[in-house]
Amino acid sequence: MFENNYLSLIIFAPLAGAVINWFFGKRANSEMFSGAVACTAVGISTVVAFMIAFGIGTPHQGALFIPEGKPVLDHIWTWIQVGDFRADFGLGMDRLSGIYALFVTFVGLLIHIFATGYMHGDKGFYRFFAYLNLFMFSMLTLVLADNFLLMFVGWEGVGLCSYLLIGYYINKDEARRAAKKAFVMNRIGDWGVLMGVFLIFTITGSVSFFDKAVDGQAVQSVFSWVQNSANVSQADPFTWGAIFAGGLTSVGVLLFIGATGKSAQIPLLTWLPDAMAGPTPVSALIHAATMVTAGVYLVVRCNSIYQLAPTAMFIIAVIGAATAIFAATIGLAQNDIKKVLAYSTVSQLGYMFLACGVGAFVAAIFHVMTHAFFKALLFLGSGSVIHGMHHEQDMRRMGNLKKYMPITFFTMVTGWLAIAGIPFFAGFFSKDEILYKTFAAQGLGNWNYFLWGIGIVTAVLTAVYMTRMMVMTFWGSERFHQELPEEDQADHDDDDHHEIPADFKPHESPWTMTVPLVALAVLSTFGGLVGIPYALSSLPVVSSIVGEEANHFEETLKPVVKKLGADESHGAESEVKHFLAEGSSEEAAAHHSPEEIAAERWLALFSVLLAAGGIAIGWFMFAGNPLRKMPKVLERKWYLDEIYNKAIVDPITEGSRRFLWKGFDLGFIDGTINGLGSFVTEIGSLFRRIQVGFVRSYAAIILFGALVVLGYFIYYAYRTIG
Amino acid sequence: MDFINQYLLTILILVPTIGAVAIIAHQAFWKDESQLKWLTLGVTVLNFVLSLLLLGGAQASANGFSFEQNSPWIPAIGSNYHIGVDGLSLWLVLLTTFIMPIAVISTWHAVEKRPLAFYAFMLVLESAMIGVFVSLDLLVFYLFFEASLVPMFFLIGIWGGKQRIYAAVKFFIYTALGSLLMLVAIIALYYLHLQATGTGTFDYVTLLGSISSGSLTFGGSSAYTGTLLFLAFALAFSIKVPVFPFHTWLPDAHTEAPTAGSVILAAILLKMGTYGIMRFNFTLFPEASREMAWIFIVLAIIGITYGALVAMVQPDVKRLVAYSSVAHMGFVVLGMFSFTEQGMQGALYTMLAHGVTTGALFLLVGFIYERRHTREISEYGGLSNVMPIYATFFVITAMASVGLPFLNGFVGEFLIMLGMWSSTILPGSWNQIATMAAGTGVIFAAVYLLWMIQRVFFGKLTNEKNKSLSDLSLREIGIMAPLLFLMVFMGVYPKPILDSSKPSVVEIQRIVSGETKGGTVTELNIDGPEGR
Repeated sequence: MFENNYLSLIIFAPLAGAVINWFFGKRANSEMFSGAVACTAVGISTVVAFMIAFGIGTPHQGALFIPEGKPVLDHIWTWIQVGDFRADFGLGMDRLSGIYALFVTFVGLLIHIFATGYMHGDKGFYRFFAYLNLFMFSMLTLVLADNFLLMFVGWEGVGLCSYLLIGYYINKDEARRAAKKAFVMNRIGDWGVLMGVFLIFTITGSVSFFDKAVDGQAVQSVFSWVQNSANVSQADPFTWGAIFAGGLTSVGVLLFIGATGKSAQIPLLTWLPDAMAGPTPVSALIHAATMVTAGVYLVVRCNSIYQLAPTAMFIIAVIGAATAIFAATIGLAQNDIKKVLAYSTVSQLGYMFLACGVGAFVAAIFHVMTHAFFKALLFLGSGSVIHGMHHEQDMRRMGNLKKYMPITFFTMVTGWLAIAGIPFFAGFFSKDEILYKTFAAQGLGNWNYFLWGIGIVTAVLTAVYMTRMMVMTFWGSERFHQELPEEDQADHDDDDHHEIPADFKPHESPWTMTVPLVALAVLSTFGGLVGIPYALSSLPVVSSIVGEEANHFEETLKPVVKKLGADESHGAESEVKHFLAEGSSEEAAAHHSPEEIAAERWLALFSVLLAAGGIAIGWFMFAGNPLRKMPKVLERKWYLDEIYNKAIVDPITEGSRRFLWKGFDLGFIDGTINGLGSFVTEIGSLFRRIQVGFVRSYAAIILFGALVVLGYFIYYAYRTIG
Repeated sequence: MDFINQYLLTILILVPTIGAVAIIAHQAFWKDESQLKWLTLGVTVLNFVLSLLLLGGAQASANGFSFEQNSPWIPAIGSNYHIGVDGLSLWLVLLTTFIMPIAVISTWHAVEKRPLAFYAFMLVLESAMIGVFVSLDLLVFYLFFEASLVPMFFLIGIWGGKQRIYAAVKFFIYTALGSLLMLVAIIALYYLHLQATGTGTFDYVTLLGSISSGSLTFGGSSAYTGTLLFLAFALAFSIKVPVFPFHTWLPDAHTEAPTAGSVILAAILLKMGTYGIMRFNFTLFPEASREMAWIFIVLAIIGITYGALVAMVQPDVKRLVAYSSVAHMGFVVLGMFSFTEQGMQGALYTMLAHGVTTGALFLLVGFIYERRHTREISEYGGLSNVMPIYATFFVITAMASVGLPFLNGFVGEFLIMLGMWSSTILPGSWNQIATMAAGTGVIFAAVYLLWMIQRVFFGKLTNEKNKSLSDLSLREIGIMAPLLFLMVFMGVYPKPILDSSKPSVVEIQRIVSGETKGGTVTELNIDGPEGR
C-alpha cells in the first residue's frame, strides 16, 4: 500500500483559496489579490497532482505507473462509522482518478487564468473566485475520494457550486431560475446515487473503492467483492427483470440515474443549456470540461459492476446514443453561441455514455479528456468573443470576427476541427474509437449497428452545427446592429444589455485570456496522440510521422477496466465476455486479427469522410445565408421544457396546493380538530363562571382526562374482581 | 466539584427555576423590567457551562445511566425522584442548554410587553425540558412533560402573532389530549407491575428489569394490553413529534409563536416526542413496537413527502419552515422504527441536527420579521442586494437543512435511510421501497427551500420597502455564528457524538429488535471501541 499525505494538498489548497477569498477578498478589494490567491491555489493542486501522478519527487512510483493499478492513498480521518458501516474521509489516486485529477487541475488552472481577464471589473470578483476555488475543491474531492460516500460529498459539492455560479448574476431572472433548476435536477439524480450506495453496501458490505487498512483493520473494497470469481460467475442475466431484482443490475441502474442528472442525459438534460446563464468561464470549467463528466467517471469507476450487469449496460448505451442525436438536432437551431456549445456538450456526453454502454470504458475516458480540451477551448473562445462583443451572445449579431479577433479565431478553428473529427486533432481519435467499438460490440443482437448508425449521423450533425456556429461568428458580413425578430427580444431583456454604439468595433481579448486559449488549442491539436489505436498507429503513413507508438492511454487504464472472468479457463466463457466489446490489447498485435484492423481502418476512413462532408454541408448551407431560418421545433428544443412543466411541475405544485394543503390539511384534519375543539369548549362553558379565557379549555380537558382515567379504573377494577 | 458532579442533573434542572424565582422576586427591590434579559441570559449561559460537565463522563452504573440520583419522592405510591443520563439523553440535554441562551439573545429587542413574565416562562420551560430528558421515573417524567406545556402555551398565547389564541389553544388541546392517555398508561403499568410482582412502581429501570427478566409480561392479562399501552404512549409522543396526521397544530404554533418560542419548539420540544418513543415505547413494549412498526413507517413516509409538498406551496416563510419540520421529523421516526443501529443512531443525530438547523432557520426568519413585520414570500425578492451576510447565512442554513454532505443534516438522514434500507422490519423488499419513497423527500427538500431562496433573495430588488433594509447586526451575527459552526462541525466530524451515543442506542436497539443478550455480545465486541 502506498501512502502519500501530500495527496490531500490537492483538495485543500483550493479550499484554502476559497476561504481566504471569502473572508479577506472583500476587504482587500483588489482583483490582483483575489485572482492571485485563486490561481496560486489551483496551481498548487496542479503541481502536486502532476508530481504524484508521474512520481516526480515522491518516494513511490507515480500513480499512473503503479503495477496492477494500485492507488496512492491518504487517510485523513474517519468520517462516519456506525455498526459495520464505515466511510472515511480518505483520498486515493489510482490510474483513473490520476488522469481525471491531471486534466481537472490543468484545465482548471487555465480557466482560472482566463477568468481573471474575463471577470475584470465585476464587482463580485472575489466572490466569483471563492466559488470557483470551492468548485475545484469539490470536483477534486469527487475524483480523488476513496469511497462512494466521500465521492458523493464531492458530487453534491459540485452541484452546490454549480448552483452558486449559475446564479452568480443574481439580478438576472433567467440565472436564478436556471440555478434552481440545475440543483433540483441534479438532486433527482442524486437520489439514484444514494439508493445505489445503500444497495452496494447491503450487497458487498463496503463502500470503499480500494482495499486498504485503516487503524490496523482491513477494509475490503466494493470492487474486490465484485471481482471475486464466485460473484463474477453469477453475473446477472440480460433481462428486464434484473433491473428490479436488487442485484448488481439494480445498482448499475440506480447509479446511472445519478449519472443522467450530473451529466445531463435524457431525461434530466434540460438544466445544462439553461445553466449557460452563468459566466462563461463557469460554463467552460463546470458545464463542459469537468463536472458534467462526473457521471462518466462514476460509471467507469464502477465498470466491474457494470460488466456483470448487461441490462444496465444496454440502457446506458441506448440513453447515451439517444441523447447524442437528440441534443445534436437542437444544437443545429440555436442562435446563442453558448447554447450551441451547451447542446454540443450534452451530445458529446452522450457519446461517452454510448462508449460506456458498449464496454469501451477506455474510449469513454479518452473522449472525456479530449473533450475537456476542445470544449473548454470552444467555451473560452466563445467567452472571448462575448467579451469582445460587449456581452452580445446572439450569433445573428456577429459575423466577420476573424478580422478583429485573430487569436480567438485561430484557436477556435482547432477546437472546431477537433470536435468535428478531422484527423489528427484530438477529438478524431477518441470519437473514432467510440464509433468503432460500438460497431464491433458483441452480444447486443444487431443493436450495435443501429447504435453505430446513430453515432455516425450524430457525427455528421456535429460537424454541421459547429460549422454553422463558426460561419455565423467569424465569417460573412458584420451584423452588429442586426434587428432580431420580435419574439426573441423577450429572452434578452436583461438590463446589462446596452445599445451597441454605431461605430462599434469588436476587440481582441487581453493576454490573460488568449494565453489559455493558445494552450488549449495546442492540447486540442496534439492531445489525442497519447491514445492512437493500434489499427491506425500501425498504418505506415501514421507511423512515419509519429513513430510506431503504443496506445499509452489504453495501456495506462487497462488495470482499472480489466475484463472480469478473463483469467478463468477458456472453456467457461461467461455471458459477460460475449457481451463486452473486444477490449483491445496492443502489446501483441496477435490480439488484433487482420480483419478487425482492416474494419477499423475502413470505418475510420468512413468517419473522416463524414466529418468532411458535414463541414461541407454546413459551409454550403450557412456561408451564403448565415441567418437561414431553422425549424421551429428544434429552436424550441422539441418543447421539452414545456412538456416537463405541464406534465410534472404544474400537477405537483397545484396538487400540493389544492388537495394536500387546502383540502386535506386545512380542510379535513383541521376541520375535524376544530369540530372536536368546539365540542370541548361547549363542555367548558359549564365552567364559564369560575374560569375565564382559554383556561376553560384546559379545565375541560383535565376534567375529560380525569373522567377517562376514572372510567378506566372502574372498568379495570370491575374486570379484576369479576 | 464532587458535590456538583453528584447532583449535576438536579442543579441543571433547578438553576433556571431559581432564575425564574429571582426574576419574579426582583420586583420587591427594583421596578425596571427591561434589563431582565441580562439576568435570563446569565442564568442560561451558566446552565450551559454547567451542562458541559456532563461530558466529563462519570462512570455509568450497571443500568447504563450516569449522574444518577434516586431518592424517594412519594413513598406511598413508590414514586422516586430518579434521574440520570445516558448516551441518548446526554446530547438532548446539551442541545437544550445550548439553544436556550441563543433563544434568549434573539429576544433582545423583540419583547416589549411584560418581559418579566416572558423571561420567567422561558426559564421554567428550560427546567421542564431538561427534566423530561433526564427523568427515569414515569410519574416524574409525566410531570415534566406536562410542565413544559404550560409555559409554551403562554409564550404563544401572549407574545404570539395575530392568530395566537387559536394557535395556543390548538397546541394545548392536541398535546394535552395525548399526554392524558399516557398518564393512564403509566398508571396501568404501575398496577400491572403490582399484580405481577407484588410491588407497584413507576421506576423506569425497575420496570425495564421486570420486563426483560420476564416477571412482567403483557400477554397475561389480555393479548392486547401491550399494544394498548404502546399506543397510549405512542399517541402522546406522536402528537409531540408530530407524526402525520397529528401535525396540524405545528404550523399554527410555529408560525404564531414569537421567534424564541418557535426556536425552542422546533429545536427541543419536538424532540421530546421522538425521545419518548425511543426511550419508553421501544424498551417497555418491544413486541408491540415491532408489531406496530409498519404503521409508523408508513406515517413517517407520508409525513416526509407530504410535509415537503405542502411546504413547497406555502406563501409564508415561517409556515414553510414549520412544514419542513414535519418532513424532517418524519425521517427521525423512520430511522427509529428501522430498528437498526444505523437507523437509530441516524435518528438521534438528525434530532440534534434538526435542532440546530431549524432553530437557525427560525432565527433567520425572525430577523427579517423584526425588520419588515411580514413573512409573506411575495413581499420580498432580491434581498441579497441589501443584506448579503443575511443571504449567505440563510443559504448555508438551507443547505444544511436540504442535507448537503459535510453539513449536519446529511449524516443523520444518510444513516436513517441506510438503516431503513438494510432493515428487516418490513417483509421482503418493502424496506427498500420504503427507503426509496423516503428518499424523494430529499429531492423535495431542495425544491421548497431553493424556490423560497430564489424568490426571497435573488432577482431584482423590486419592493421599495426592502431597499433600506439593514444587514445583520453584530448581535445577530453573534447568535448565528455558533449555530453555523455546529452545522459544519457536525457534518464533517460526527464521530464524537456518534461514539458516545452508541452504547445506549445499541442497547435500545437490542431490546426492541428482540435479540437475546448473548446474540449481540460478540457483535458489540467487534464494533466496540476496543475492537478498533
